[in-house]
Amino acid sequence: MKGFQWIIAAACLVLGIMLAFQFRIASEINKTEPVQRAQLLASEVNQLKKDRDLLQEQVNSLRADFDRVSAGPQDIDLKEGLDRARILAGVTELSGIGVEVTLNDSNATLKPGENPDLYVLHDEDVLHVLNELRAAGAEAISINGQRLLAVTEVRCAGPTIILNRDKRLAPPYVISAIGDPDTLENSIKMKGGVAETLQFWGIQVGVKKMSGVTVPAYTGGTKFEYAQAAS
Amino acid sequence: MNKSIYVSIIAVSLIFGLIISFQYRSNNDSTAGKTTDRYQELTIEKKQVETDIAQLEEEIGDLTVKIETARQGRTEADDAVISELDKTKLYAGLIPVTGPGVNITMKIDQASQAGMGFYNIRDEDLLKVINDLRGAGAEAISINDQRILATSEVRKAGNHININLVRLSPPYSIKAIGNPGMLESSLEIKGGLVEILAVNGITVDVQQSDQVLVPAYTGMLRFDYAKHVQRG
Repeated sequence: MKGFQWIIAAACLVLGIMLAFQFRIASEINKTEPVQRAQLLASEVNQLKKDRDLLQEQVNSLRADFDRVSAGPQDIDLKEGLDRARILAGVTELSGIGVEVTLNDSNATLKPGENPDLYVLHDEDVLHVLNELRAAGAEAISINGQRLLAVTEVRCAGPTIILNRDKRLAPPYVISAIGDPDTLENSIKMKGGVAETLQFWGIQVGVKKMSGVTVPAYTGGTKFEYAQAAS
Repeated sequence: MNKSIYVSIIAVSLIFGLIISFQYRSNNDSTAGKTTDRYQELTIEKKQVETDIAQLEEEIGDLTVKIETARQGRTEADDAVISELDKTKLYAGLIPVTGPGVNITMKIDQASQAGMGFYNIRDEDLLKVINDLRGAGAEAISINDQRILATSEVRKAGNHININLVRLSPPYSIKAIGNPGMLESSLEIKGGLVEILAVNGITVDVQQSDQVLVPAYTGMLRFDYAKHVQRG
C-alpha cells in the first residue's frame, strides 16, 4: 500500500513539473520578441512592396509620356537606338513569337536511401537552360515574370531560386523567351541536349512554341553604385 | 493490490508519454533559429525593396525633368532623347564603364595537369563564375573584352568558348565592377569556385582593383522578333 502511494506522489510531482514547464514554453512562443518582430516586419515589407509596384507603374507611364512628348520626325535614328537599348536594358515590356519552357522538380517516387537532392532543380540547371536559349538567339527572357538582365543572378535557396536580388521564385519555373521558335525549341530538345540530361533525373521539361510571348519589364530600381560611364 | 498498481502505472505512463510528445513538438516549433532566419531574411528583403523605391523615385524625377525639357521644343526634345538614350545604353552594356572591382585570370595549371590528363576550362565553369559575380552585385562584367549582356551566351565550340558569337580561348581574363571585397569573397569563399576549380587543375586568380575598365559591347545589335508593347 505504501509503495502505491509513493508511485502516485512521484507521478504527480513529475506531472506538475512538466505541466508548468509546458505552460511556460507555450506562452513564450507567442510572446517572444523575434516572432512578434518578424510578423511586424513581414507586414512592413509587404506594404513597401506595394509602394514599389505603384512607383514602378508610375515610371512605366512616365516613360510612355516621354516617348509621346519627344516623338518627332527628325529623330528616327535616335528612337531606334533607344528602342534597341531598351530591349537590352530590360526596362520595357516586350512581345513577339518564341517559346515557353516549363521546368519542374522530379515527380518520381524515391526509393529509400536515394538522395532527393539529385531529383530537384538546381540553379545550375536553370542557368544551363537560359544559356541554351541565349545561344539560340533569344532576344529577351523572363522566368515566372522576372525579366533577365545582364546583372541577373540565379541562386538556389532551399527549394526555391532567387534572382534579381530579392525575387524569390518557386517551381514550376516558366521561362518565356522571344526569338525564332524553332531554333529555341531545338536548342533545348536536341539529342544530348539539356532536356535529355535533366529528364534522366526525372525533372520535367516542357517546351511549347508560342505565337505570342510577353516578356515583362524589369521591376525594381536600376542604378549603378560602382560603375561609371568611361569617357 | 497488484492490479491497481499496474493500472496506475499504465495511466501514468500514458499521460507521461503524451506530455513528452507534446513538449517535444512545441519545442520544435519554437526553435529560435527559425525565427531568427526569417527575421534576417526579411531585414535583407526590406533593405532591397527600400533601395528599389529610392531608385524608382530618382527615375521618376529624372523622367519628369526630361518630359518638361522635351515639351519646350524640337531641339530640347532631341536632347532629352539623347540623354535618355545614354542612360539606357549604360544599363544595356553599350557604354564602357569604369569603377572599383576585380580582375580575374582563369587558366589551366600546366604543372598540376601533368599527371591527370588534359582538362579544359568548360563553358559551365565560366557560367558559374559569372553567376557568382552577379550574385555578389557585379554591375558590369566582361570576359576577354566581351561585355556580358542580358543576351550573352557562354558556349563551348570545339576547344574554344563563344561569347556574343565571338570565339575566345584561355587564359580568360574576367573583369567585374562592384564592391571589390564582396566580388572577391564570392569566389574565394570556402567551398567556392576557386577551391572547386583548383581540383580540376584550373587556377583562378582574383585581384581587387580601384579602377577596372569594362568595355562596351561593340558587336551587331539586331532584334528581329521582340516588339515593344505599346502602353497608354
